[in-house]
Amino acid sequence: MFAIESEELSKVYRNGIFRRQEVAALTGFSIQVAPGQIFSLLGPNGAGKTTFIKMLLSLASPTSGSASILGQKLPDVRVREKVGYLPENHRYPGYLTGDQVLRYFGELGGAPPGAMRGRIDSLLGLVGLTQWRTMKVKKYSKGMLQRLGLAQALMNEPEILFLDEPTDGVDPVGRKEIREILKDLRQKGKTIFLNSHLLSEVELISDRVAVLDRGRLLKVGTVDEMTAAGQAYVIGIGGTLPESVALAARAFVMGLTQQGENITAECRTTAELNRVIDLLRANNVEITSVIRQRNTLEESFISLIAKEARK
Amino acid sequence: MKIITLIRGTIRELAAKATLYVLAGISTLMLLAAALAVGADSTPDGKTITFFGKQASPPVTNEMLADLAGKLEAGFAGGLFLGIVVFGVFGTAGVIPDALEKGTVDLYLSKPIARWQLLLGKYFGSVAVIFLNIIYFIGGLWLIVGLKVGVWNGRFLLSALLLTYVFASLYSVVTFFGVLSRNMAIAIIAGILYLLLVAGPLDSRQAGLYLISENGIYRGILDGLFYIFPQIPAMESGAMHIIAGEHAEAAPYAQSFLSSGGILALSAWILHKKDF
Repeated sequence: MFAIESEELSKVYRNGIFRRQEVAALTGFSIQVAPGQIFSLLGPNGAGKTTFIKMLLSLASPTSGSASILGQKLPDVRVREKVGYLPENHRYPGYLTGDQVLRYFGELGGAPPGAMRGRIDSLLGLVGLTQWRTMKVKKYSKGMLQRLGLAQALMNEPEILFLDEPTDGVDPVGRKEIREILKDLRQKGKTIFLNSHLLSEVELISDRVAVLDRGRLLKVGTVDEMTAAGQAYVIGIGGTLPESVALAARAFVMGLTQQGENITAECRTTAELNRVIDLLRANNVEITSVIRQRNTLEESFISLIAKEARK
Repeated sequence: MKIITLIRGTIRELAAKATLYVLAGISTLMLLAAALAVGADSTPDGKTITFFGKQASPPVTNEMLADLAGKLEAGFAGGLFLGIVVFGVFGTAGVIPDALEKGTVDLYLSKPIARWQLLLGKYFGSVAVIFLNIIYFIGGLWLIVGLKVGVWNGRFLLSALLLTYVFASLYSVVTFFGVLSRNMAIAIIAGILYLLLVAGPLDSRQAGLYLISENGIYRGILDGLFYIFPQIPAMESGAMHIIAGEHAEAAPYAQSFLSSGGILALSAWILHKKDF
């Protein structure tokens, strides 16, 4: 059973007078998220990331297709007992204190009344808001509100956590703390579905990533799969590569360049890579490392989106 | 249970707004004025009601005094109704649009609560706050009249429930427009316009709108509309009659119950269909 599953999910918004103007927010979106994973959905603004979460939480109804959470077909009010959600640009009642916000939304989320006090104490401690618990949330900074939002999403001990830009407005130390909390939750078997623009962060914690553009799924895979840059290898050598060896290697690889004590060899196959290594060793070139070249997630993402735009 | 949480949350939300403190403040001023002004004197010919120490009625028997006190209370209740319309609608019309605002509605609807539960929780929370304001004023005035004039009119206390019921009927219209537009100003204007341009003219159609045409279909449509919408003026005047110890029809209350229920059901259906 998947934690989240969607099949050919589509959403068309109708705007304007007589609702004649159609905007396709999501088109035939199918994904499967296994339990206990951190799954990140990436995409430029307006790609349909938030629309997808909203359809899963029944905030918007799909135009076509189907989705399920923990095997329960949507829409289903009861499934939301097992779900926590931190929306983007959330607005908490400013007249409540942090403590009261957790109690109010905890009660609405179905948190057991007997466990409420202990749960609030532990979550405020977890997100570092214990000393601000009696302050009205209208006085909270953006970062504090995000922390409170995360605590709110965790109030009913959800099995799945939907986080829309969870580190928006949070300082670097706070971001690291939130990452640690998410990793800890994953260890406890929780599924985390993340929408974020901060690709460096996504790269650090995600198990799987999907890229969405203009409502269409472009690619889905592990972070390693997403960032692999073809068959280029960086070979660390002790010293300088003799020109004759470089020429011999260029005869059978796609490309070979040297920068300091690193050679970048673009090979078609791993056999070609082994041939380069054999050539270097035969010429007494000392090999210090062999690393498959990778892009950052951001580079891969931008290249993917640019490729799509050119189509 | 979740509806109770929503009702409590709405009461807290409204308690944080100044408008309702203004209403409570006005009630307090009116109660103080009533406490200072209203009194009763015994004369050899019977009892008289006094206003600021001056005789305001001829000497009457105890029975007639009770009638007079009832009319006095009915007058106050009429004034209170105006206060409820002006301040109550202004103070509570934002509750539904605020709950449906982006960033807030996501928080509510991501919880295991149905949309109709959210609507009813917010609706009854607002009505509960107005009821508290009404009971404060009516209860206070009942005590003042009882202590100073010696007339304890149980029907006047009952009118607190009736006036809350009248407000609840009007508020179903405000709720409907709040859901439809998600805009507080539109909800207020629609509620007031309903009262002034729909409920009022329909209630007095025989003396007004009927005179435009004698056409049976036209008059039939007016009658139909009268029975479709909550009959606010008829219920208000019924409450005044009850306070004064006079006969009042139950039909406007029963019919408005069905109308308001229908309007709330329609609001819940519209809310159910909305994308956020």
